[in-house]
Amino acid sequence: MKIKALTIFTLAIALFLSACGKSDAELTKAATDKLAADKVAGVTVAVKDGVATLTGEVADVTVKSKAEASVKGVEGIKSVTNSLTLKPLPVATPAATDPALTGKLNEAMKKVGVTGLTIEVVNGKATIKGTVPAAKYAQAVQAINESGITGWDNQLTKGN
Amino acid sequence: MSAQEKYQSLLELANQNGTTYELSDGADGTLVVTGTAPSAEAKQQLWDEYERLDPDFKSNDLILNIGLGDAAGGGGSTYTVEAGDNLSKIAAGYGIQWKAIWDANRDILHHPDKIYPGQELKIPV
Repeated sequence: MKIKALTIFTLAIALFLSACGKSDAELTKAATDKLAADKVAGVTVAVKDGVATLTGEVADVTVKSKAEASVKGVEGIKSVTNSLTLKPLPVATPAATDPALTGKLNEAMKKVGVTGLTIEVVNGKATIKGTVPAAKYAQAVQAINESGITGWDNQLTKGN
Repeated sequence: MSAQEKYQSLLELANQNGTTYELSDGADGTLVVTGTAPSAEAKQQLWDEYERLDPDFKSNDLILNIGLGDAAGGGGSTYTVEAGDNLSKIAAGYGIQWKAIWDANRDILHHPDKIYPGQELKIPV
């Protein structure tokens, strides 16, 4: 009688464990494999009670969110704690000296066909004032962005 | 929210459409995105997304400096429009479709029927 009860108990435990699915170690491996398959590098996964924690330093915010989505897609992972940090960015270098950038911006605006703007560049950052016809606004902004400056104060007004 | 988070969808779009980019830290927390797009169309997609996220480009927190790769006409030839030209006629001269020129010049053209003498078109050959 006692043996029968023990057998039932053992069976019950076995059933319970198999229903629980994969162990944390198996899930860690599955998550790590999934990241490799999705070509996400530099991420370490640790799974505890089905909750995955991601650590490491990644290139940018797109990699951070891709890693999270990737691991969330692994069967058996209940949730993901995203503790990834972003690699500090290098400091941007202006493409030329301030006077050269000012000249370049004036030239670029002339090419777009916009005149009468006040352009001042200090340490790679441009302050640009004036009115730009609405039809040429986007084009002017694009040319300004491509001049080699590292920041700007857009004080432009959209005209007619 | 950091500028990277704000412009995350733009960066994701770049990853999707084949634009390679590098990020750097510009003046006063400006995010500087320097890269190369595979086509004028891909570049335009990024600009459209930038405009969607920052209408009128007034936030002063992003510099989007995207050039075109050689295959997209970055190193190709240009053609200066003359009176009486149209895209089909110009394209025929290079043995390409008018649409190829249209796609390569979306940054300066707004309608395929409207080109003006003096405009410099990139020829994707």
